[in-house]
Amino acid sequence: MTLALPTRRIEEWKYSDLARVLGDAGFGEDSARALVGPLPHGVEAFSLDEANRPDWVNAHYGKLSTNAVSAVSLAKAQGGIALRVHKNTHVEAPLALDFLGQGHVRALLVLQEGASLTLLERCGGGETRNAGFEIVLGRNARLDHVRVAPNSSAVQVEEISMTLANDAQYRAHFANFGARLSRLELTIALKGEGASVDLSGVSVLSDQSHADITTHVTHEVGQTQSLQLFKNVVGGGAQAVYQGKVTVKPNADGSDSRQTAKALLLGPRAEADLKPELEILADDVKCAHGAAVGDLDADSLFYLKARGIPEKEARHLLLHAFLEDAMACITGPDLRESVRGAVSRALDEVTV
Amino acid sequence: MLEIKNLHVAVDGKGILRGLSLRVDSGEVHAIMGPNGSGKSTLSYVLAGRAGYEITEGSIRYRGKDLAALAPEERAAEGIFLAMQYPVEIPGVTTMMFLKSAINAQRRARGETELDAVAILKAVRKKAATLNVSEEMLKRALNVGFSGGEKKRLEILQMALFEPRLAILDETDSGLDIDALRLVAEGVNSMRAPGRAMLLITHYQRLLDYIVPDRVHVLAKGRIVAEGGKELALELEAKGYEQIIRDAA
Repeated sequence: MTLALPTRRIEEWKYSDLARVLGDAGFGEDSARALVGPLPHGVEAFSLDEANRPDWVNAHYGKLSTNAVSAVSLAKAQGGIALRVHKNTHVEAPLALDFLGQGHVRALLVLQEGASLTLLERCGGGETRNAGFEIVLGRNARLDHVRVAPNSSAVQVEEISMTLANDAQYRAHFANFGARLSRLELTIALKGEGASVDLSGVSVLSDQSHADITTHVTHEVGQTQSLQLFKNVVGGGAQAVYQGKVTVKPNADGSDSRQTAKALLLGPRAEADLKPELEILADDVKCAHGAAVGDLDADSLFYLKARGIPEKEARHLLLHAFLEDAMACITGPDLRESVRGAVSRALDEVTV
Repeated sequence: MLEIKNLHVAVDGKGILRGLSLRVDSGEVHAIMGPNGSGKSTLSYVLAGRAGYEITEGSIRYRGKDLAALAPEERAAEGIFLAMQYPVEIPGVTTMMFLKSAINAQRRARGETELDAVAILKAVRKKAATLNVSEEMLKRALNVGFSGGEKKRLEILQMALFEPRLAILDETDSGLDIDALRLVAEGVNSMRAPGRAMLLITHYQRLLDYIVPDRVHVLAKGRIVAEGGKELALELEAKGYEQIIRDAA
């Protein structure tokens, strides 16, 4: 297996020039760390740098990752964490997962049948990192996932690859405030009838920062649902990328898929590359996709100013409003408020 | 309060107002009536400070100050309020949150202390009840899914909360049924005060049955062509704009 990093000549990496920003050193040979908060009852953890991996880790580890960058992290990561939520265990409080340090890191999360969990993933430290994260959702399992990537000048790449069995649900929100290069790639296979994913995300980018979210959702069987809503506010010379590919396999009738990506560009140097894509190989499906790039509405801006709200505050209010529907579905009021707060602070940076 | 002299305003290089003069004193209610395309909305927008409305000649003085030098938000803080003909819908901002932002922005600009959420809610509830603005409307996104009457009632609620010195009501009667019109008119009448002036901009005389003006001005082709007391509105209704404009020429 070759472990070369992708270049822009590969279509999927056209908007994120990983080889250029990393240079000859690539991600290096170091291993980053994955830390979890105190384990609630019914959740089991195994540190991947230890010997004698249990069967449940061996059964899943390294089986789902598909892309070139993940192959590198699988080959080089010395550590990371595997987590399992036991059958029918309902974990109430959010569990924190932090990726820290420089280098390669792996994580595996298995939700057994009927299990449910809320995961708060934080990408801290501002170090260059390549994370590979595999998620397995058993029948009727439910995972709520909130990932917050603070602004940094690092290069951060993460591939999340997952499978969903019958009636499993995955609801995720990705808030990204930009990095020198930030790439989150999701590869999701809806393998069981009744499985559904609801993905949403916001990016607020300023200066020269970059945020790329690339999704591949495959409806392998019918009666499955995928919803995607991504919104971006791009200032300065920043760049937002959304590439979303939905594939509906032959005979996956009754699939329902919607994807929307929108961006507001705040200046002439800001860039958004939005590319929703559908590949439908079945007959009876309901699919819609759309993308739009624009500026703030002048009528709305005047209305707010005429009510006494100064320009900067009015712009802030309208930008927040633009992002609001992508944040509204975040699980739990505390997580939702914390993302809204982070968005608000980031908007202060882009509104002048 | 407001003194407009020989005002010329162009939009996209095209002259819309051409030598408009008007004086409104404190405590007075004036009506500006005119046919479509006479420049009524341009007048309201230029008073509120909308971008793209260029004053090419003449002056607007408000309480002795040159109005053109002030940004829209500064005019609001100085007590100018425009009730808009088409209030905008803003998804993602609740009506209550908008009201709080606006009230506190104006207070901040005037050097007053900001009000907390509880104090604002109390003030809003008190005035909302008389205008039949429901609690549910306040929780919804600003103007989103509101009927025409609901939007206009919300404009008047803002007027009641901001307590402006100069209120400009642009076609506030359009799209209202008779009950809604009566409710809005009561709201406006209750705000008539010695320290406040109002400018009613309207196409039809109907509104003036409910809000009786001190003076009526007829606007045609960007200028005031006729002026009179409240009886001028009735004359307009009887004769039509064309006749009055011809008589004035």
